[in-house]
Amino acid sequence: MAVILLSALTLALAVFALTQRRLLWGVIGVGAHSLALAGVYLFLAAPDVALTQAAVGFGLVTFIYLLALRRTGKLTVVAAETPPLLHQDGEHVAGLEWEILSRLGRQLHRDVEVLWVTRAEIPRLLRAGEADVGAGGYLPRTDDGVVLSRPLIPTRIVAVRCGPGPCGAVAGDRCQDCLPASSVTYEDHRELASALRSGEIGEAVADLLHVRQWVLSGEVQPSETKDGGEAAFRFAVAPGEEDVRQALDALLAELERSGELARLIARYIG
Amino acid sequence: MRVLTALSLLALAGLLALGVSGVFPRPELPSADEVAAEWGAENVVAAIILGVRLWDTLFEILVYAMTIVGVKLGLRLLRWERPLPPVAETPLLRRSADLLLGPVVVFALYVAVSGHLGPGGGFPAGAILGTALLLLALAKGVERLSAEIHEPALEWAEYGAIVAILALAGGLLLLGRRGSGYLVAANVLIALEVAIGAWVVLHRFASSRGEV
Amino acid sequence: MEGLAAVALAIALVGVGFWTLIVRRNLIWKLLGLNVGASGAILFLVALAHRPGARPPIVGLGPGPSADPLPHALVLTAIVIDFATLALALVYVIFLTEHRHTQDVERLERDEERGWPQP
Repeated sequence: MAVILLSALTLALAVFALTQRRLLWGVIGVGAHSLALAGVYLFLAAPDVALTQAAVGFGLVTFIYLLALRRTGKLTVVAAETPPLLHQDGEHVAGLEWEILSRLGRQLHRDVEVLWVTRAEIPRLLRAGEADVGAGGYLPRTDDGVVLSRPLIPTRIVAVRCGPGPCGAVAGDRCQDCLPASSVTYEDHRELASALRSGEIGEAVADLLHVRQWVLSGEVQPSETKDGGEAAFRFAVAPGEEDVRQALDALLAELERSGELARLIARYIG
Repeated sequence: MRVLTALSLLALAGLLALGVSGVFPRPELPSADEVAAEWGAENVVAAIILGVRLWDTLFEILVYAMTIVGVKLGLRLLRWERPLPPVAETPLLRRSADLLLGPVVVFALYVAVSGHLGPGGGFPAGAILGTALLLLALAKGVERLSAEIHEPALEWAEYGAIVAILALAGGLLLLGRRGSGYLVAANVLIALEVAIGAWVVLHRFASSRGEV
Repeated sequence: MEGLAAVALAIALVGVGFWTLIVRRNLIWKLLGLNVGASGAILFLVALAHRPGARPPIVGLGPGPSADPLPHALVLTAIVIDFATLALALVYVIFLTEHRHTQDVERLERDEERGWPQP
């Protein structure tokens, strides 16, 4: 009987741990699962295994995960790779937003760490507390549930049509809101562009920065463009990180006033 | 893709069910009590780990030591931009660590020494000792503790423990002597090896910028 | 009955663990799934060693059948080795995070297909 109860508890803890969204809860859940499993071993007449499982599975393994997850002192940025704004250059990160983020890190005395994710994941990671700042050509949507910085660069939303076919956008992007319900979404702008090129979709909605890149590189030859209204790239800040948002806004205001932002825009975007 | 995943999971479950159903015959073993009596142990598991299947245990210890070396080399390759800020240090943690450390170390020793008589043995004792060392590190600060502990000496102790286990096992296999004294010595050496390995791993993770 | 419940739990744990290993894209989640799957495999061996009404394999705990001590001995070292290999895997995850700035498996694969960006 005890085995059956403990088995149910173990399985419930494992399922709880592995269906969490936040990594910390997953680690804690797996630790508790190990402890319950040690109880199962005890009732299966295996006291040696129970003792080892409790000491290693609950003690050492949990500790090592927690030590690996420790983020003290780091400003974690989750971003979708967006070439002139924020992108990987060899082993380093570069781009206009990187200039601002590294300045922010120096001001806050924290190292900046960039993690590449997809656009759709950014609000979830920020809300779960896995990261502090979201970046990489971030166009805010109303239901993202994150705190926003001042506008960084103004842009426009543009729909480009190349031929017949359905309409596409990047999943989670602001541009997705401008689409009819029967449209297709892609993970990032590279996939969107290649779908447009291959004729998989006939029309794409994106921000002016990306559309300009596609046209300049000759990747896409639009037959018709439609203006979808104004928008602005911003940084997204995790809810509750009020000091980060204030520092970021102060830094952006300072850059705007001194004309440094205009210089950066001229240098990176032209 | 999803169908394939489901099918492979089903196949796995089928294999496991086949294993339970008794298709594979179980070999006839000497009675567990006989084995234990021959090695001077009361815990049959200890007699098997340190006696009948000594080679398994030896090579598993070697695998463990190799993995620890891998962790050390891997973390050494990383460049860290700035030294790590200290792990949070609170009076409560420090006081409770002071109180708990002694009992935990004594318990680990007990588990190692009495491993051939009851539940326990070198592996859980080493893990408990490693956790106790980490507790100490959290209370005192990793930097201060690693300044007090001479790291190369610790590494030499680890390799020394491995050599001692090998020598003990080799002597045992050559001379054919069996008894509870040998089991106690082997358990203590294994505990030492596992504890130092765990300490090296945890200390490296704690003092390098191990942010993932 | 108890052995059967434990075997069912072992199969379920392996299933849940491997499901996470396949479905999640983040490397640390994959490692957690692998952890749970490995504990399921270990539990399977211990459950096979169990017999109805068995006592722990220690001499002097009374008459009656004892659980098979051989799988216990096998599993004891496996648990410790699991910890060591997990540490090694985490080192590589830290390495990838430091140099490639991602823990997303699909992104790593895509980067490899396109060739790593060179400085």
